[in-house]
Amino acid sequence: MKVLWPIAYITLKEGIRNRAIYGISLFAFLLLGLNMLIANLAPRDVGKVAVDIALSTISFSGLLIVLFVAINLMAKDLDKKTIHMVLSKPISRSEYIWGKFFGIALILVLTVIFISIFAALSLYILKAGYESFFLRFSWPLVFLAIFFIVMSLILLSALSLLFASFSSTSFITLVLTILTYLVGRSLSDIKALIETASIAGATVSPITAKVVEVAYYIFPNFAFFDIKMNAAHGLSVPIATVFWTVLYCLIYGTLALTAASLVFRRKEFP
Amino acid sequence: MIRALTYALLAFLAITHIAVVGKLSQHENVFPMNEDQDELFVLPSAILKIASFDYKGIVSDYLFIKGIVYIGGSVQKGSSQKFNINESQWCAFYNMMQISTDLDPYFQDPYYIANAFLTWDAGMTREANSLLEKGSRYRNWDWSLPFFSGFNYFFFLNENDKASEWLMEASRRPGASPTIASLASKIAFKASKTENSISFLEEMIKQTEDESMKKMFAGRVEAYKAILDLEKAVDAYQRKFGKKPSTLERLLKNKIILEVPKEPYGGKFYIDSGGNVRTTSENQLMPFQK
Repeated sequence: MKVLWPIAYITLKEGIRNRAIYGISLFAFLLLGLNMLIANLAPRDVGKVAVDIALSTISFSGLLIVLFVAINLMAKDLDKKTIHMVLSKPISRSEYIWGKFFGIALILVLTVIFISIFAALSLYILKAGYESFFLRFSWPLVFLAIFFIVMSLILLSALSLLFASFSSTSFITLVLTILTYLVGRSLSDIKALIETASIAGATVSPITAKVVEVAYYIFPNFAFFDIKMNAAHGLSVPIATVFWTVLYCLIYGTLALTAASLVFRRKEFP
Repeated sequence: MIRALTYALLAFLAITHIAVVGKLSQHENVFPMNEDQDELFVLPSAILKIASFDYKGIVSDYLFIKGIVYIGGSVQKGSSQKFNINESQWCAFYNMMQISTDLDPYFQDPYYIANAFLTWDAGMTREANSLLEKGSRYRNWDWSLPFFSGFNYFFFLNENDKASEWLMEASRRPGASPTIASLASKIAFKASKTENSISFLEEMIKQTEDESMKKMFAGRVEAYKAILDLEKAVDAYQRKFGKKPSTLERLLKNKIILEVPKEPYGGKFYIDSGGNVRTTSENQLMPFQK
């Protein structure tokens, strides 16, 4: 643990120095300002549209940070060969991976908190203006949804570390991470589509069904972390769901990071 | 010298740019388009659900807003028909609201707005009701959707049993006004349609926020109240003379009424061959029929 902190701290410092974070935050800030205008377009469900925009902004800017800041933090060490300097210190390679991971997680948590403050502010202002359209609005659910978003982002960055551990350039890591996100986010819907198709009488090739089935267990399912709709409509989330989702994130994340350190231990640097 | 020239070139280009954009924007619509549906075309919800990834809520909001902007943009001022929209465009609008609520079935506005437009303006009551029923299934805390559905069954489709069923459903939900339950039972026992319409419309006025809709309902209530008075007078005449009057003048002559009430839509009340009180501007009073 003692060794992890300096790496995490350096990663955090390096990440915050990255200009992209400011660009993404500015983008989020503008979107949340736009929230004031767009939510007004809904005749009744102003609260729902406002929460939708606020949470989607957080999730989208978080995704951008994973893709354009987090990935670079590990890949840059490899690309610029600064990793030799780090590894010459009394640090094992798996400690390096875990340290990087905690640093990236810290960056994600801090930026999401920063954006969430503006999101909450935009919701607060809209709520003050349209009290009667926010009847089912609940702050705890909004914060729970933000917590779920953070979990999914941390899981995605754990996977990006796994990809970085074996790919030769940061570009490949980026592509693999994006693909994993796209697959992982749409798996549930595709599985549902295939199931309803067979009910409706359309034939789905058994190979396709099997591939989706297998993929369903291999890829991370990011749909589990999407409770934006519950937050938008004030639909409560059972404690059991929260428990299983946290457990899922922990197990899958640890799995990815352990695999990453295993691969990384055997990696030969050019 | 070169620097000044660069600035001059920059200024010149900026001005030409604005001129060109202005010219081009006039050419934007020259390409032939299928005007009917292109603007309202939406991918099927099964595809959109997958394609919208983490942003189903926002895509649902977007589709809804696009739909109402389209409807709002086709308002005709000073024409007898309120919207310049043909049947296939109404169907496309319905489809859009359907998909918007597939993506987020708890979203209240598409149900609410589709109901308002599809019943009064498009004559697509069945479609409106299928949306409302979907909405009541998901939004099981919201009494207004089953209430609207009940209203549509009663007012547009003349299916009193179904109307009463949906009203009972509405009355069981939190926040529902107690008058809804009594309305449900009155309709079930087939009380006078006119009287039920009045209580129904008065309930609608309470629920509506839109001022022009409120005015529309209020005008109808006024007309129905006048009809109700005349119906009562016809009944009184029948009790006295054993048959229904053939004209309103007979009611006046026999002093059952002192004057024929003013028809709020500028038409005239009359008694048809079956002895029912009617108005010449019935198409104003009654909903649009396909």
